[in-house]
Amino acid sequence: MTVFLLLCLMLVLAVAAFVVCRARALALSGGKIGVLHSLPGYYGWHGAIMVLLPGLAVLLVWLVVQPMVIESRISATLPAELTADDSARALAMADVRRLAAGLDVAIAAGSVTVDASGTPQIAGSGTMREALAEAGVALAEDVSPQILTAAQAYRGLSATGAAWRALAVLAAALAGFALAVRMTEPELRARNRVEGVVEGLLMAASTIAILTTVGIVWSMLSETFNFFSMYPAADFFFGLTWSPNFRGDSELGFIPLLWGTLYISLISMLVAVPIGLFAAIYLAEYASPAVRGWVKPLIEVIAGIPTVVFGLFALVTVGPLLRDYFAEPLGLGNSGSSVMTAGIVIGILNIPFISSLADDIINAVPQALRDGSYGLGATKSETVRQVIIPAALPGIVGAVLLAASRAIGETMIVSMGAGAAAKLDLNPFEAMTTMTVKIVGQLTGDTDFASPETLVAFALGMTLFVITLGLNILALYVVRKYREQYE
Amino acid sequence: MDDMRIVERTVNTKASKISAKGVQVHYGATHALKDVDVEILENTVTAFIGPSGCGKSTFLRCLNRMNDTIPSCRVDGSITLDGENIYDPRVDPVRLRARVGMVFQKPNPFPKSIYDNVAYGPKIHGLARTKAELDEIVETSLRKAALWNEAKDRLASPGTGLSGGQQQRLCIARAIATSPEVLLMDEPCSALDPIATAQVEELIDELRASFSVVIVTHSMQQAARVSQKTAFFHLGNLVEYGETGQVFTTPQDPRTEAYITGRIG
Repeated sequence: MTVFLLLCLMLVLAVAAFVVCRARALALSGGKIGVLHSLPGYYGWHGAIMVLLPGLAVLLVWLVVQPMVIESRISATLPAELTADDSARALAMADVRRLAAGLDVAIAAGSVTVDASGTPQIAGSGTMREALAEAGVALAEDVSPQILTAAQAYRGLSATGAAWRALAVLAAALAGFALAVRMTEPELRARNRVEGVVEGLLMAASTIAILTTVGIVWSMLSETFNFFSMYPAADFFFGLTWSPNFRGDSELGFIPLLWGTLYISLISMLVAVPIGLFAAIYLAEYASPAVRGWVKPLIEVIAGIPTVVFGLFALVTVGPLLRDYFAEPLGLGNSGSSVMTAGIVIGILNIPFISSLADDIINAVPQALRDGSYGLGATKSETVRQVIIPAALPGIVGAVLLAASRAIGETMIVSMGAGAAAKLDLNPFEAMTTMTVKIVGQLTGDTDFASPETLVAFALGMTLFVITLGLNILALYVVRKYREQYE
Repeated sequence: MDDMRIVERTVNTKASKISAKGVQVHYGATHALKDVDVEILENTVTAFIGPSGCGKSTFLRCLNRMNDTIPSCRVDGSITLDGENIYDPRVDPVRLRARVGMVFQKPNPFPKSIYDNVAYGPKIHGLARTKAELDEIVETSLRKAALWNEAKDRLASPGTGLSGGQQQRLCIARAIATSPEVLLMDEPCSALDPIATAQVEELIDELRASFSVVIVTHSMQQAARVSQKTAFFHLGNLVEYGETGQVFTTPQDPRTEAYITGRIG
């Protein structure tokens, strides 16, 4: 029985449990619902949960444990020369799995038949490989008899496992069903028990998000350690030259990349924060509802444009414009791609981000504070400056920080607008590049996961993670210190 | 008691501070206030009473043009402060509000320190040239608002950390720090407990020495306790306006009598 079929069956059982438990609760109440601890619907839900929860738990455990058991049994039967070391064993097991899956397909297609003893027979003439190819399963080399035997055993064990799995899951579900029906008494606190399950479900959702983050950090951490075992950490953190090559004498100093990242982010924030904040103040405090209704969605349209389109804008419009009208007349170089280009375009990208978030935050400041200020004879801008912005500060800092993280993490606009040359320079009209662009650069194309030139991407990623984390902590501190809390 | 009667008599001789004639207020299509005439005297507490939605708060907000902040609101008629029409296009509502201060129903201290709350008005109006002058204004205002003794040791702590009654007195201190000529109070005690209410009421009586005070209240006892003049509003009309004692003991209009005795409201 397939997992899908099993799930469907459990769903049917759950619906049945819902109906039965609800009906039983109603019958026990004798027409007076007040006798029951909870509403009849809760008894129904309690029944459905009692079916689904044990069934799903057994299924989950089985799905995790069964492959492990089968693998260890099969690999024990494989000849010793195929399981000499861990990587050979993994390779052989991969072959077995692929062949087993291929056989399933081929038997379904009819190009392989199964005789009474369960041994696969080739329906036509030719080798097993040709028979499988006929069914659309491509194998790299012909099938060795040991692998074929192992694959056959694998299929057999899997089929037995699936049958037992179905039995165990259904047994658990039915046991839950029976228990739920027996438990359905007027005194059963069905509502509280259902509430508990809901709480658990919500908690699981938040846990998954946290565990994923931990997983990402963990996976980067191990590769970062690999990198630092091959390349000295001091050279990475304090090296002023970035010139990777695959001859083995790369210089992987990350200072030029850090400088490029910070320089571009700084320019983008200089563009985005004032414009975004002023736009938000205009929308929240000055604009009439009609104007607001038009302008706010229009600004937010910018947020929907893919960054690669912004990259094009940087490449064909902003870059040449800055070069022809600023860089060349001022004698600051003749590069079309520059820190300035990328910074300005990322800034534009972040304007709606800041304005939209800040607008919501400013609107959340109580009207009573505005009235208090106006009532003392303050003008609008005095009120905004001295009362509303201080009250909204924590939220505004949060919005700015979110925009800063986006600017630091932006890749596409940088690679199209600022180029890919890692340089340490003060001139904003020079081409420079960022850590994210180099992460992409080092991981695309032919990569060798044993060379520091590739693994440096993980070290860069980890450093980026630490920088943004530090930024977050700093912002939290600033907000705690300077916030003016209303209410 | 004797003293009270002397006060009541001197009211009649006082000059008019604010004079409203034929004031109409519309909120969009709603006619909120119909043809209101009121004279508010100097150094007098004037109470506006009436059932909810009768227009008393609306009228109060006309006196310092706070209704300007509501886009759908339209005010007709004339309101003069010391003979000058406050709805004249040449009058700046921002300057006007410095002369006619306001205290709101719910205490709304700014999320700043107690000192900065009181110093806010004087700072934006440039009333103090030096830090010492500003300190002086803050202290005087807090003293007048009867908050100095409780707040003098914690001027740097946030105003939002005070109790409800203290917050309202802080708002009063904040309003009188700009040295207004008139103080408008929109149900200043409705969010306070009886002890805080008594403190604020006592304060209002003392403030009368320096300002004209106009107070909107739902509590008729409060109006009787603190005011010398009372105006009764009903359904957007000013029904009766006169000496507080006279309005409460011998009302001229049957509607006033009905409200005071609790038959409408």
